[in-house]
Amino acid sequence: MSHIHIDMEHVNFSYEKNKKILDDITFTARERDCIGLIGANGVGKSTLLKLLVGLESGYEGSIRVEEIPVSSEMLPKIREKIGYVFQDSDSQLFMNNVYEDIAFAPRNYGLPEEEVVRCVEHAMQMTEIGHLREKSIYKLSGGEKKLVSIATILAMTPDIILMDEPTIALDPRNRRNLIHILNQFDHLKIIASHDLDMVMDTCSRVILMSDGKIVKDGDVMEILKDRELLEKNGLELPLGLQERKPQQ
Amino acid sequence: MSKLSGAYYEIDHMNMVATRDQWVNKIHPLVKLVVTVFYIAVVVSLSKYNLSGILLMGAYPIVMFMLGEVSFKDSIRRLRIILPLVCVVGIFNPFFDRQVVFNVGSISVTSGVISMVTLMIKGILTVLASYLLIATTTIEKICYALRQLHIPAVLVTQILLTYRYISVLLKEANTIMQAYLLRAPNQKGVQFKVWGPLVGQLLLRSIDRANAVYESMMLRGYRGEFHYSNMEHCSGKDYLFLVAWIVVLLAIKYLPVFMYFNS
Repeated sequence: MSHIHIDMEHVNFSYEKNKKILDDITFTARERDCIGLIGANGVGKSTLLKLLVGLESGYEGSIRVEEIPVSSEMLPKIREKIGYVFQDSDSQLFMNNVYEDIAFAPRNYGLPEEEVVRCVEHAMQMTEIGHLREKSIYKLSGGEKKLVSIATILAMTPDIILMDEPTIALDPRNRRNLIHILNQFDHLKIIASHDLDMVMDTCSRVILMSDGKIVKDGDVMEILKDRELLEKNGLELPLGLQERKPQQ
Repeated sequence: MSKLSGAYYEIDHMNMVATRDQWVNKIHPLVKLVVTVFYIAVVVSLSKYNLSGILLMGAYPIVMFMLGEVSFKDSIRRLRIILPLVCVVGIFNPFFDRQVVFNVGSISVTSGVISMVTLMIKGILTVLASYLLIATTTIEKICYALRQLHIPAVLVTQILLTYRYISVLLKEANTIMQAYLLRAPNQKGVQFKVWGPLVGQLLLRSIDRANAVYESMMLRGYRGEFHYSNMEHCSGKDYLFLVAWIVVLLAIKYLPVFMYFNS
């Protein structure tokens, strides 16, 4: 097995007794996998991502990231390996300008300033936001904020990228740009989203969740073409696969 | 633009002013911080009857306004709430200290009036000096300078994050106000009975947002100490700036020629 991988085995999680948010979740993700985590609202997609980086704790079962168990003592190590892009970019960005925000993580990891500059430049180049370098965080558009959010985690040079609804509130052009940029990364990626068209364009594998359980785990097209399966679990066929009715 | 949006953009504007390419902005933050603190200490230490000495202390803000090309008009507008409060200090002095010092025509000027004016000017000058520091230095640089002075990290981080969260709080407050006003089009302001739920909402949202920001920091390696970009060491011009101001301020306070002028 490659050294970059995530293993979840029989994971259960709940906030209250007798109300499971995640129920017996088992899956393995390997290097270069791009997994779409899909399901209706409230099925536990975001919770699953948060468990992987230790933003939620108190689960049952086993979660291992590159053979390191996700536990409070190991969180600093785990978080060096995983970049997490929040659903709401306003929560992710807090420094004065774009450059300072991207440089935040490399500086925290004690890199010398020359290395910090190199990491920031590389992250900005990968997300094509070099022109925003000095721009104030408050003046960024929604699409720019999302790209800067991604750049902030790329500057950490993570092995794994987790994204929570990355295309939410993006206009078609920014959405297309984001998909183009995501497809250039060869990290292990797990993308939680309702945007099935985006999942179809970026992911090779899909995990479909319902009521905290994994209903199906398999090839992206196999699952996204299955209208009956999607509708049974509160979703619809991606727009790109829906037949258009001729207008009268 | 609503007042809340206005306040939000004011903070952003202040950040922009602080990052301009002016000569004063490029002075080492530690030097500017030390000069500002020293200036405030000297101003505060002047006698409450030393009106002319206080007036001479106005030289520092005047020079800094000119060197930094900071708009005086904008500064007064931004400080319009704090300055009257500062002026309240000493407002009762004329009632307690009634010894007549000199007469202007038929009007007797008492030492209470002089001390009141002196205290007001002291307040204004110290506020202006602090404002000039913020207007020519970003909050990150000020915090870096504080750390250089060995101020505890926990305190400096509090200052930095409080400054950051002001924007978060304003943004949330603005969103709540907009949502309220859109559903109460014929009202002026917020109804008294709705203040409770609105403030409660603001508190909950702000806590949520602050928590999310903190999580984001933790996920990017934050361990309780901010790491600031490497600043260059103090150069010749920084030392010159520091020494020049210390000499000028001490001269105003102690040199006989200025004391003579004061008398």
